[in-house]
Amino acid sequence: MIEWSSFLIVLVASITSTAAVVSAYALGIRLLTVSGRTPIVTPAEFTDAITVVSPAEAKAAAKRAAKAAKKSPLTDGQKRAALLGAWACFAISAAAVLFGIYLIVPALHGG
Amino acid sequence: MELTLIVVLVIALALFFDFTNGFHDTANAMATPIATGALRPKVAVALAAVLNLIGAFLSTAVAQTISGGLIREGDDGVFITPELIFAGLLGAIVWNMVTWLLGLPSSSSHALFGGLIGAALVGFGVQAIDGSVVMSKIILPALLAPLTAGLVAYAATKLAYAITRRYDGKPDGRDGFRHAQVFSSSLVALAHGTNDAQKTMGVITLTLISVGLQPVGSAPETWVVVTCAIAIALGTYMGGWRIIKTLGTGLTDVKPAQGFASETATAATILASSHLGFALSTTQVASGSVIGSGLGRRGSKVRWRTAGRIGIGWLMTLPAAGGVGALAAVVALQLGTLGILVDTIVGAAVVGGIFLWSRRNEVSHRNVLSEVADSGRAVKIKRNPKPKKKVLS
Repeated sequence: MIEWSSFLIVLVASITSTAAVVSAYALGIRLLTVSGRTPIVTPAEFTDAITVVSPAEAKAAAKRAAKAAKKSPLTDGQKRAALLGAWACFAISAAAVLFGIYLIVPALHGG
Repeated sequence: MELTLIVVLVIALALFFDFTNGFHDTANAMATPIATGALRPKVAVALAAVLNLIGAFLSTAVAQTISGGLIREGDDGVFITPELIFAGLLGAIVWNMVTWLLGLPSSSSHALFGGLIGAALVGFGVQAIDGSVVMSKIILPALLAPLTAGLVAYAATKLAYAITRRYDGKPDGRDGFRHAQVFSSSLVALAHGTNDAQKTMGVITLTLISVGLQPVGSAPETWVVVTCAIAIALGTYMGGWRIIKTLGTGLTDVKPAQGFASETATAATILASSHLGFALSTTQVASGSVIGSGLGRRGSKVRWRTAGRIGIGWLMTLPAAGGVGALAAVVALQLGTLGILVDTIVGAAVVGGIFLWSRRNEVSHRNVLSEVADSGRAVKIKRNPKPKKKVLS
């Protein structure tokens, strides 16, 4: 009937891979913020389901981020290390995307 | 044997099914990035269309196995005729149009299977259908897909928020997830393209084989691949805005980090399922992911009423598409060529009618989320409250 073992494998594989990718990217964002470069990405069209971001609000957010970065207790060296770590995390996420493409394109994995 | 009317009709109908498949499934990849504003609505559907087009050309190996063992074919079984494929496609298209009108994300593959099963039941009776295959390939996966994806997305959302949460009230940079959403949703769109256009290629090839225009077991012709790819891309570009609205805003309010978690969960689950041999429906995985991510974010609500409607839609898919397919098959088999014409005309009338009906309250890229945005403007909503540390007692 149904192959429960292959279903379990699928479940475990999806959870671990998703958790790894999401953690890597989230850690990257955390480190980026710590290094004083909080990403401010306003919605492309003001469609965000609840919070509608106006240009003024986006500016205010950037200001808050800059202020928080200024107050950071970290030394320049620590900030640089955090930034480096952030980029390493983003690189891991990018590698995951490439692996995804590799899995999708049959010509790449010979199936 | 040459190209007869029925073969031409089946090919036209298959391409139209491909088209409905495209706009039905845009939402799977693009509902959440549109909802969070990671991509402009028009850009998002254009991106999905291009990726579906590319995806359709990437793999062409699966096309012969479309009936997937559901219908017993071959020497000791039944031999499917173009008339029955025609009826099955009609059932699938009508159900796809109905669910689109209602804004319900439902699996196009299941609609196709349902239509073909209904037609085969009329043509050959109950022994044509392999009940255990229906159970293990369609019904159980339909229950497992949203559960799996929901669990994965729930865990991923929890992680994403836990890692970026700041207790000092300083900016947390979660906006940055919008950039990542572009990539995660693109992966879903590409994966979709490599699967779904294949189904139509399979149907057309099956038809050509069944009338002897193509040797048994041969690969789809180039023109079949090209037209199917274009049909699904066009459909995707049309954007099923009604379904995008349901998935993007109807189930839960999606935030960037949550959207990224849910898209990654969808992509990972689909890739894992297609590579580790346990096929799951893209639509059901995507819907499950959105619900799971809604459960995983503190302070977000899941609208279970909408989720329930979607679930009922899934339950109805097989019998409804099968019913229409069976009806069309009865007419086609009883009246012959005249029946095919009657089917075509009635089918066109139903599709046209649904389209006209949809114009009464059109949902397009202009207003897909505007109602929600308007209510956001009208009601001043508090900024996210400062997270409180859990006190261990």
